[in-house]
Formats: sequence, C-alpha cells, structure tokens
Amino acid sequence: MAQCVQSVQELIPDSFVPCVAALCSDEAERLTRLNHLSFAELLKPFSRLTSEVHMRDPNNQLHVIKNLKIAVSNIVTQPPQPGAIRKLLNDVVSGSQPAEGLVANVITAGDYDLNISATTPWFESYRETFLQSMPALDHEFLNHYLACMLVASSSEAEPVEQFSKLSQEQHRIQHNSDYSYPKWFIPNTLKYYVLLHDVSAGDEQRAESIYEEMKQKYGTQGCYLLKINSRTSNRASDEQIPDPWSQYLQKNSIQNQESYEDGPCTITSNKNSDNNLLSLDGLDNEVKDGLPNNFRAHPLQLEQSSDPSNSIDGPDHLRSASSLHETKKGNTGIIHGACLTLTDHDRIRQFIQEFTFRGLLPHIEKTIRQLNDQLISRKGLSRSLFSATKKWFSGSKVPEKSINDLKNTSGLLYPPEAPELQIRKMADLCFLVQHYDLAYSCYHTAKKDFLNDQAMLYAAGALEMAAVSAFLQPGAPRPYPAHYMDTAIQTYRDICKNMVLAERCVLLSAELLKSQSKYSEAAALLIRLTSEDSDLRSALLLEQAAHCFINMKSPMVRKYAFHMILAGHRFSKAGQKKHALRCYCQAMQVYKGKGWSLAEDHINFTIGRQSYTLRQLDNAVSAFRHILINESKQSAAQQGAFLREYLYVYKNVSQLSPDGPLPQLPLPYINSSATRVFFGHDRRPADGEKQAATHVSLDQEYDSESSQQWRELEEQVVSVVNKGVIPSNFHPTQYCLNSYSDNSRFPLAVVEEPITVEVAFRNPLKVLLLLTDLSLLWKFHPKDFSGKDNEEVKQLVTSEPEMIGAEVISEFLINGEESKVARLKLFPHHIGELHILGVVYNLGTIQGSMTVDGIGALPGCHTGKYSLSMSVRGKQDLEIQGPRLNNTKEEKTSVKYGPDRRLDPIITEEMPLLEVFFIHFPTGLLCGEIRKAYVEFVNVSKCPLTGLKVVSKRPEFFTFGGNTAVLTPLSPSASENCSAYKTVVTDATSVCTALISSASSVDFGIGTGSQPEVIPVPLPDTVLLPGASVQLPMWLRGPDEEGVHEINFLFYYESVKKQPKIRHRILRHTAIICTSRSLNVRATVCRSNSLENEEGRGGNMLVFVDVENTNTSEAGVKEFHIVQVSSSSKHWKLQKSVNLSENKDTKLASREKGKFCFKAIRCEKEEAATQSSEKYTFADIIFGNEQIISSASPCADFFYRSLSSELKKPQAHLPVHTEKQSTEDAVRLIQKCSEVDLNIVILWKAYVVEDSKQLILEGQHHVILRTIGKEAFSYPQKQEPPEMELLKFFRPENITVSSRPSVEQLSSLIKTSLHYPESFNHPFHQKSPEALEIHGSFTWLGQTQYKLQLKSQEIHSLQLKACFVHTGVYNLGTPRVFAKLSDQVTVFETSQQNSMPALIIISNV
Amino acid sequence: MAVCIAVIAKENYPLYIRSTPTENELKFHYMVHTSLDVVDEKISAMGKALVDQRELYLGLLYPTEDYKVYGYVTNSKVKFVMVVDSSNTALRDNEIRSMFRKLHNSYTDVMCNPFYNPGDRIQAFDNMVTSMMIQVC
Repeated sequence: MAQCVQSVQELIPDSFVPCVAALCSDEAERLTRLNHLSFAELLKPFSRLTSEVHMRDPNNQLHVIKNLKIAVSNIVTQPPQPGAIRKLLNDVVSGSQPAEGLVANVITAGDYDLNISATTPWFESYRETFLQSMPALDHEFLNHYLACMLVASSSEAEPVEQFSKLSQEQHRIQHNSDYSYPKWFIPNTLKYYVLLHDVSAGDEQRAESIYEEMKQKYGTQGCYLLKINSRTSNRASDEQIPDPWSQYLQKNSIQNQESYEDGPCTITSNKNSDNNLLSLDGLDNEVKDGLPNNFRAHPLQLEQSSDPSNSIDGPDHLRSASSLHETKKGNTGIIHGACLTLTDHDRIRQFIQEFTFRGLLPHIEKTIRQLNDQLISRKGLSRSLFSATKKWFSGSKVPEKSINDLKNTSGLLYPPEAPELQIRKMADLCFLVQHYDLAYSCYHTAKKDFLNDQAMLYAAGALEMAAVSAFLQPGAPRPYPAHYMDTAIQTYRDICKNMVLAERCVLLSAELLKSQSKYSEAAALLIRLTSEDSDLRSALLLEQAAHCFINMKSPMVRKYAFHMILAGHRFSKAGQKKHALRCYCQAMQVYKGKGWSLAEDHINFTIGRQSYTLRQLDNAVSAFRHILINESKQSAAQQGAFLREYLYVYKNVSQLSPDGPLPQLPLPYINSSATRVFFGHDRRPADGEKQAATHVSLDQEYDSESSQQWRELEEQVVSVVNKGVIPSNFHPTQYCLNSYSDNSRFPLAVVEEPITVEVAFRNPLKVLLLLTDLSLLWKFHPKDFSGKDNEEVKQLVTSEPEMIGAEVISEFLINGEESKVARLKLFPHHIGELHILGVVYNLGTIQGSMTVDGIGALPGCHTGKYSLSMSVRGKQDLEIQGPRLNNTKEEKTSVKYGPDRRLDPIITEEMPLLEVFFIHFPTGLLCGEIRKAYVEFVNVSKCPLTGLKVVSKRPEFFTFGGNTAVLTPLSPSASENCSAYKTVVTDATSVCTALISSASSVDFGIGTGSQPEVIPVPLPDTVLLPGASVQLPMWLRGPDEEGVHEINFLFYYESVKKQPKIRHRILRHTAIICTSRSLNVRATVCRSNSLENEEGRGGNMLVFVDVENTNTSEAGVKEFHIVQVSSSSKHWKLQKSVNLSENKDTKLASREKGKFCFKAIRCEKEEAATQSSEKYTFADIIFGNEQIISSASPCADFFYRSLSSELKKPQAHLPVHTEKQSTEDAVRLIQKCSEVDLNIVILWKAYVVEDSKQLILEGQHHVILRTIGKEAFSYPQKQEPPEMELLKFFRPENITVSSRPSVEQLSSLIKTSLHYPESFNHPFHQKSPEALEIHGSFTWLGQTQYKLQLKSQEIHSLQLKACFVHTGVYNLGTPRVFAKLSDQVTVFETSQQNSMPALIIISNV
Repeated sequence: MAVCIAVIAKENYPLYIRSTPTENELKFHYMVHTSLDVVDEKISAMGKALVDQRELYLGLLYPTEDYKVYGYVTNSKVKFVMVVDSSNTALRDNEIRSMFRKLHNSYTDVMCNPFYNPGDRIQAFDNMVTSMMIQVC
C-alpha cells in the first residue's frame, strides 16, 4: 500500500465526522449563489475547528476533542444511486493523475532498481470520495444527520415566518414516512436557525432586529446571524482574495458543473430546462410543494436516461473523462467567493465555531448521556433477568425475526428505535467525538448482542467499528483485533452481499494494517476483495496490493509487477487508460530484459495500445517496435497482428507530421556490415559462342585466396608497366567492396557507370514482409567541371535524377525468418562525391490469408501488385562500422574503429571500359592439347583504350602467338578445319633426317622482362577506339596435369588520357579447364660411344624417347599418332631417327607404349658462336608427310613458355657454398660436363570419336633433358606422399656435399676407345692344331704407360702395340686410364673401359 | 499431472518453460515469474547455517483459484517450478516431490552434456516433460 498524505490517526476521524443538514430558503440560497457557492459549500473550507473542544462524557469526565471536523450538507431526500457513485469515483480517479515532474523514488530489490512513485493520490481521493459518498444505512449511525441548520435571508419579507416554514419542512422530512432517506440520528434533531445577511445589499438594522426576534424565539444558543457578501461582485478583480474553496470543490466539480455554467442570473431558465438537465447538484431552485427547497435528489443522483456512461465499463468513458476535463477548464474561470472579504471568511469560521460549541456539542453530550442512562437502566433491569430469561424468551426477544429471516440472517432488521440499536447509536456518537474508549466498549457490547441475535449485518458493523476504535484508543491500547475486521469483511461480503460495506471495511483495515507494517496481510485483504463487479475498485485495490508487496521488509518485486499488471488490466477495463498505462509501465521495469519475453511482449503490446488510445503515439511506436525487433517467440499470427498494429500506429504518427523527416523503421533488420558495393555494369550472359569474361560480380563469393591472387597479378602488371617498380600510391583496384575488402579509402566510381549496392535484409518475424518502392537514399556533392573553387557546396538529397539516377525496386518480399539481399543501383551522371546514406521504402505486410510462400495460392491476387493492407514509408540508415584498429598502443588498449568508406564513392571522369569475349573457348582438353580460340576485345566506353596487357599465373596455358603469327588466319571462321599448327608438306624422303630451323625466344616475348606472366596483347594499332572491337587468335594448351584447372586472367588497360585518380583499369577472367590424361613421355639421353662421328667433333648423343598412352577414357580418344619429334636447344639438335625397325607406324592405342631413338649432335660451333645465346635451334623429325614448323607459333610459343616456367624452378635449389670455393668450382665444372640442354618436343595427333564424329586433336609435349643418363619426364610423376610420416626426433644431419666428385661423374669425363681390327691373320710358325691353346693373356709391347694432358674437347690418339703368341680371341680392353684434374692431386681411374670387352680374333693363316 | 513446468536460472531468467494449454502460455509465464518471489522468500528464510543440509523441495509456493504452484531449488540455485491443477487431488506432496526429483535428474543430464552451453535455453527436455505432463500420477 502506498504512502498516504494522511496517517491513519488523521484519516479515520476525518472520514467519520458528525453530519449536519442544511435547509436553506430560496432567498438565502440566492445570496450564497452570488459567490457561485451553495450554503453547504460556503461552509466547507471552514468546517474544521481550529481549537480544541471540551466535552463531558457520561461519567462527567472531561474529554478533549482535537481537530474536530463537521460536515454540513444540503438535505437530499433520496439515497445516492450506485451508478452515480461509480461515475463520480471514476471521474475522481481519472482526474487525479501523477504529477508530471514527480520524482519517483528508487527501490532496489535484489538486482532490480525500480522507479516507483510512492504516493498514489488517485487512490486517496478515491477513498475519500468513496467514504463521503457512503449512503446512510440503517444498521449504523455514523453518517446520520445529527443536527439541521435552517437558513433564511434577512432580505426576505417575513424571515421569522420563513424559519418556521423551514422548521416544519425539516420535521416533515424527518418524520413523514414519505421520506425514507435522509437518516436522522435521533428523533428530536437539533435545529439551528441561521439568518444570512447580505452586507452589501441588505439593511443591517433590519437584520439585527430580526436576529433579536430569533434570539427571543429560539434562544441565543439556537440561532445565529451570519453576515456575508461584504463587497459587490463587480469589484472582485482588484483585490486578491484567497480561494479556499477551489481545493474542496475541484473533485466534486462534476456535480456542480451545470450550476456553475448557469450562474446565478440564469436560474429562471434553469427551471425550464430542468427536465433535460442533470440535476446533479441538487441546487436547482425548484419550488416543490410550495416550499423553496432543493432537496429533491441526492447530489449524486443521475437521470439514467441522460447519461449512458453509467455503465462504468462502457466504451464512452473516454468521453466522460474528457468532459470532466472540460469542466475542469471551465471551473478555473470561476472565482468562488467573489463577494466575500477576509472578514467574511472570519465570520463564517466564527459561525462554525459558535455552532459547534453552542449547538452541536451540547446536543451530542446530552444525547450520549440520555443513551447512557437508557442503557444503564436496561442493563439494570436485565442484569437479573437477562441470563435467566434469555433462553426462555430467545424467540420473543427479537420481535421482528421470523422463520424466514432466520435463514436469511442478513435480512434481519431492528426497528429504528429498538433498544439494541441504542447502544450502537451511543457507540457511534462516542466515535464521532473521538471518545474511542467508550466507543470500543459500546461496540463490543453491541457486537455481542447482535451476534446473539444472529443479526449479522449489525454484528459486522459493530465488529468493524470495534476494531477501528480499539486501534484508535489512546494510551495503552488493546492489541489490534485483526480478526474482528476479517470477520466483518467476510460477513459483509459473503453473508450480506454488500460489497460497498466490505470495501469500506477493507480500506480501513488495510490502512490499519499498513500502519502496523503488516503489508502481507494488507495485500491479502486487498486482493481478496477484487471481484468482477467493479473494475475500478479491483484495479485500485490491486495496485495498493502491489505497493504492499514492494513495501515489505524483503520486497517482492515480481509479485509487485504481477499485481501491477493485473491492476493495469483492470484499469483499462474500467476505462482508466492513463492509469492502466502507468501500471503497465511500472510493471515493465521488472520484466524488461530478464528473458521473460512472452510477458515482456504482452506488456509492450498493451503499452503500445494504451499509448495509442491516449494519443501518445511516440510511446506507442516505441513499444510496438520493442515487440517486433526483439527476437520474438510469438506465433506467426500474433506477430502478424503486432505488425499490423504497429504499422497502423506508425501511419498515424507519420500523418501527423507529413513534412517531417522520414521515420526510422525497425524492420526488416539490415546487416550493415554485409553490405556490398559493386562498381560497373552487370555481367552479360554468354551470347552463343561468345563467352564474356567472368570479371567481378556480386554473385561471386568472397574468397581471400583468390583475391590475394588477383592482387598479386595486378601488382605484377603494374610493376611491369612502371618498369619494375610498384608506385607508392598504388592500390589494387576493387570493383566489389565487402566486409573483407580494404574500405579505408574512398572508392572510385566512374561517371555513367552504375553503382550497385547490395543490402542484406533479414526478417526476424515469422510473417511475410513486403517492401515497396525500395530505393537508396543518398547525398551528392557535385564537383564543378570548371574546377573553380565553389565555396557554396551544393547538397542534393535524392530526387535529382539528372545528377544521380536511382533504381527503384517496386516490390521486395521477405518471407518469415528469411535473409535476403536486395541490389539497388545508382547511375551517377555527374562527377563529385556521393554518399549513400541508407534505404528508403514502404514497409507493409500482406493481409489475411496470404500464405507464406507467396502469391501462387491465391487466384485473385495474381495481378502482380499485392493488395497492400497497410504500409508506411520510412528509411533505415546504412551505417557500417569499420574494422577495429589495432596498430598503435593506444588503439590496442582502447576500442577504436577505423572508417569504412565503401558507401562514399567518388565519381570520377570517364574511363575506357573493356569487355572481353572468348570464342570457341574449350572447357575440356587433353593434357598438352593445343586448341585455337579467339578473343574479342570491345571498348564499350567513350574513351579510347590503350596499353592492353594480360597477366596470368599460368602463362604456359595460352599464347596470342609471337611475331610470326601474322600468317595465321585472323577470323575464326576461316580456321574451321585448319590445324592449329603451321605446317609444310614434305616429301617422304626426308623422313629420318631432321629439318632444321632456328628462332629466338625474343620473338615470342619470352625473356624480355623478368615477368613472363605479363603478356602484352598484340592489338593491331595499340589503341582500341570507342566502340571498336578486335578479334585475336589465342592458342591454348591443356595443362600437363590432369584435373580441373582454374586459370585467372587479368586484363590491364589504360586510358589514352592520363587521369590522376584512376591510372588503369582491370578486367578479370577465370577460365575453368578440365584436362584428361593423354601421353606420358619419358626421355633419356646418353653419350654415344663412338668418337669422331661423321659430323665432326663435339661428340654426339643418343636420345631415347618413351611415349606411353596413358589416356584411360573408354570413349573418346581412340589412338594417338606421334607426328613429329622436334628438338630445341642452343647447342644440340636431333640429327636422325635411329629406329631399328623401319616401322613407321607411330600409332599408340590405349595403354600402348612406343619407343623412339634419335641421334643428337652438337650444333656447328661457328653457328652457335655467332648467334646470340638466346637463339635456339629447332630440328624436326617427321613421321608423317607434314612438317609442323616447330620454330613458329604456336608450337614454339608453348615451348618457350614451358621452358621459362621450367627454368624458374631449379634456380631456387642450387645453394651456393662459399667455402671450399676451389673444390666447389671443380665439382661444378665436372658436373657441368654431364649437362646437356636438349629439349624435346613431341607433337601428336589424337583421333577422338565424339558424337560418332571423328575429330583430330593436336597437341605437344615437352621434355627437358638436362643431365646425361637421367630420365626426364614430360610431366613430373606425382610422388604419392606417404600417408603418414613417422615423426623424427633427431635432427637430420646436414647432407655434406662431397668435395670430391664422384667416380661416376669423373669417369664420364674421359672417353677412350680402342681402334683395332676385329680379326687379324697371322702365319704362326707352329702349325700344330693342338698347339691352338687358348691363352688368357697377351703382352703389350713398347711404351705401355703414357702421361698426357688433354685440353677440353681434345682428342689424342696413342699407339699401343700388342704381341700375341697364339691364335685365339683376346680381350684387348685391359688398358686402364687414370686421370686427374690438372689442378688437383687426386688421381682416379676412369672406369668406362672396364665394362666393355674389346675382343680381337687372332687366327692363323 | 503438471500443467506447466519451468526451469529458471539462478539469475531468474527462464531456461525452459512449457505449459500444456498453449493458449494460456502467457498466464503461466506470469504465474511462474511471480512465484519466484516466494521462492526467494523461502530461500532467504532458511538461513545461512542450514544451507548445506536444506531440503531442495520447497513445497507449495502459493495456491490460486485454479492452480497450485510448487517449487524446488537445486543447490546451484536453479529453480524448478511446477504448476498443478487444483482440481487434481490425486497429487500428493510425495508425488510432487518425486516429479521434481525426476526433473532434477534430467536437468543434471542436460548439464552433463558437453555440448550444452550453461545458461542457454534448454532444448532437450521435451520428452521427459511431456511424460510428466501427461502421466497421471
């Protein structure tokens, strides 16, 4: 229960005060009317006594009464209507709202910090009004009239006559059975005669004389002359007089509103219109029964027909609240007591004092004494008889009780003057004058009596008051009898079915319990009284219960919140929107962010609704927003309802301020960091044979590896263009910006080229969202073309299509819980700085039976345009947070984010734009296959284009042909059935010998720069004019490795005009080639043993080439034909084929292997010397009848490319040891002797059956031979890595490079051959055949040991003489050659001869 | 037969909450949430000394017109709240106690799951809870 302004000790005496009736004459009423007040109202502010009053109790003890208050009211003859009371209470509650700037106190309970307003003024005023409007009841006397003031005016013709008339009237009301309602305490009511005198108008003398007359008639104690209206009302404004009435009248304004509006001058018209006016005030001057009285109705009575809002929960409560509001406004204009001076105020105060001291209190004193005497006499009588007769007369003791009444005990009624009631009457009187001791004992006695009689209603009343007076007893009080209260409440509610009394009892009890800090009991009490019959009451009580929970010693926060919600619910049912909203808001504090999402959503929804009905649209919007943006666990239907409600409210908000800035919409979510920006046109789809370059598009996923590759490629080409250095201000071109790209710089966009922004939306709801008219929101600073410094920067925001054109997506659907991207385009038409701010759209949803998966299900909805139920226009900003900075120490220790400028492109001047198309570009190739394709370059911009280059990591894959390519046909159509190679028809004679040509690698663009990957595209005249297109042939060679290859091409080009911002542009293409195995070529070279060949010195070699068909595909390739084997070397050339068999069939079917043997000789010395070292000699050995000119494109191109890529490799792993330089040198020298640089090119044709058509494919393989005797492969064999390698825990020892050359190496340095006749006939003397023994030995004669120094390539012949003594076969290979390097000491033996026997046959002639 | 079963984290946010008449879910949420006050009260009333050997079962938290709310607190201050139809008189204290024990066991199982992130909403509870809701004890 909330804190109250009044304590209980003040509250209860103020709630139960002696009641005094006032009966005014017409004229008297008119006098008070001048002040816009009735007589009763006039007295109201002064009805509390300022001084203590003394009174004697029946035992003649002096009793002090403090702060006594009396209630004067006009007589009304009908009990108040419950409907009217309800309406009044309703208005009182709605009229009392928490003050705007009320500082709520913070209660901390557990982890909750709650702002709770500690006071609930609406409850207090409700309670006050409720207690005041209690009708007078039969079973209790607390608000029965104790006295009656009879008021007449001095200005009347016959005032004394008037007094007697009034007196008669009062008597009639009290004692005539016509009037049951105004209850009177005792039959002979105190009458007090008041003569009103208008000082400003009336005759003072006359008044005095009348007063004298009255005094004589009624005694000095029974009458009073009250002088008022000391000043005329028209002088009202010049003096400020305090208005004590306002605070009392405010809350009752509804009853007085009519009369205030009318004012005193329209009284006559009031009479006429009485029928349709609410006689709310009871002040209408209607002459009834010839008497000027105005007690026709209770002030709260309503005419049922005239106000439909009697039903509290009716829908038009808002109206009644607003009418109250108007009344309030009206009230403020009226000044009460305008004719009263301060002296008049004092006079009224004096009058009340006088009345209380002289009239009321003595009357009460007297009554108490009388009642006491009666009681004592009754007790005296009964004391002896009571107990004895009780049983006997129990039936007759309660005279009115019949059999029926016994059943319905609440219906028991005592006659008004029954002796049982006298004690209650006395108790009530004592209670009213604050004599609680006596009151308690009386109540206690009465309670016993009533309980004995089973008069439950009476008993409950007595119990209730007994409890209250027990509590209020001064001095050493009894313990508070809480059970009295509980019994009373229960009786009232369950037996008597009287909710009003039960409510009063609960209010009192709760207040009493609260003052004793028994909050939990109070809460239980309050909650128990909530019921269906009055929402307002239930709401207020629940709210108080909630306050009880929070005020407990250990606050029960959740109970508080829950009861607040219940209260809010009840308030809203009672039409108290503001209170409902307040309750929900307070409860929200507990539920917010604690994971109880269902409850939270419910509260938010209710807050939204309430705020909306109260026109607090902003609050409503934010509450609805909460429901929608938090991850909702509601069902789809519920979410749909929320969304519609939200949209509806939002629409209302935006209609209020149509010119304001667009509101921020909460839905759908935008994942800002996933925003991607793409500069450039969309990729064109493949057009027939033409296949556009893949370039960059938004459809590609980001791949850090590939983007790194592209970056490297671009760096390579830029460094080539800039002669080997990358300019410091170089940044890789970014066409697509995303969260991975470097967005720290302003991106550059080219004018007239579209900018596409991809926005990632996510719909968190389960319902479909429809965005319409979706477009980008941007800001643009145009740059002046003239370059003048334009001080005034123009800022254009949207709707300026000549600057920036924006694409609008008319409809964009997002299904429930779906993530979807929207691509929005801008077309810059002007240079300058563009800032993309966000997206603007209409948010809507689709009404009703819309299925989630779209429109298809609905036949009527197929018009393409969805029937929009509701949509609001709004925007959402795109704000992208940059990456977190982590470079400096400061940045590391704090959290800082870098800028992200992907949405702020700078629009620059025109640049050329290249488009590349590939024609006949294959997707599948055999390894080593050569295919010819065409590339088309188109300049689609308005600027000429130059400096076109292409860069790729795999330059061996393609070629545009060397300088010799001019001869090849240019257009693709001309080459349909043509071989990719350049061929010359030869005659069959030259089959075995080689045809020799030579070419320099420079011609093929190899070896010019250090970057073989960068290949300039041979444009016809280096410039591609706007709109022009060029087709160039392009040869492709299937990579040697089988599998799928992704090959990246980067086309680089520049504008003819140099531009400061963009130096170059690029275009990317990724080709995907699938290769299948074809041939595997192995080759070895070995020295031929023969010295002095026919070609001369220099030695010759044998080349063995093994070709294996490794193609495994069943269908397709039928067989391979080796058509030509060419050599290419700087020093060597193939001379002829030395195939033993003359079989020219070079077919290789599947899995077949063929072996070729060639003789290679050194090129002529002078030839090699004159030409540059880059000159290669090509020698072709043909197996067919066509020579493929291997030194021309494309064969040589690919050869050089493979060579260059091959050459790059070994350089890496030749470590240079600086120590032991001399031996190292020697070793290297020796090693070099066994090196050759012979490259073999095998050209083949494959016969392929494809779709029952035979195709001939061509291809070539390269084998690079470096070392004699070492096998080389066309493609290095894959070494299967062992599945798992054992971990080694010792350090691998350094492989010591032997300082000595191996014997094997050395032995090959010197070649020896023996020249001798194979057989020799000699006439031996001994002829006997038996003498023909085989001797194992012969003898060398002459000089048998020589020491020679051989220069390089030098041939030296020695003569050895042998002597054979017998015929036979001898092995001459016994000489041993020892050699050492000239500058070394170690001698080694050449071992070559040992291996080969040199047999000679010596025979006898 | 329970009408609503809830598991509430130490910090008083729901780990798991399920009720059978789904249309009244909100009501049960409110009911369970409000019962936490009583749980808090009961825990704090027990006093520090008795924490070790205290009874996990808290008994009837509060009755409403239609339902009875029972509570149970584990040693780690995870609360189990069970709402039972008042009309169901077959359920005695002992049955409620055993149901809570069952619930506690399966909660322990959930906690033992290495893939469960403590503090997350519990997903893998449904079967057991359904059985407890349907089962007529």
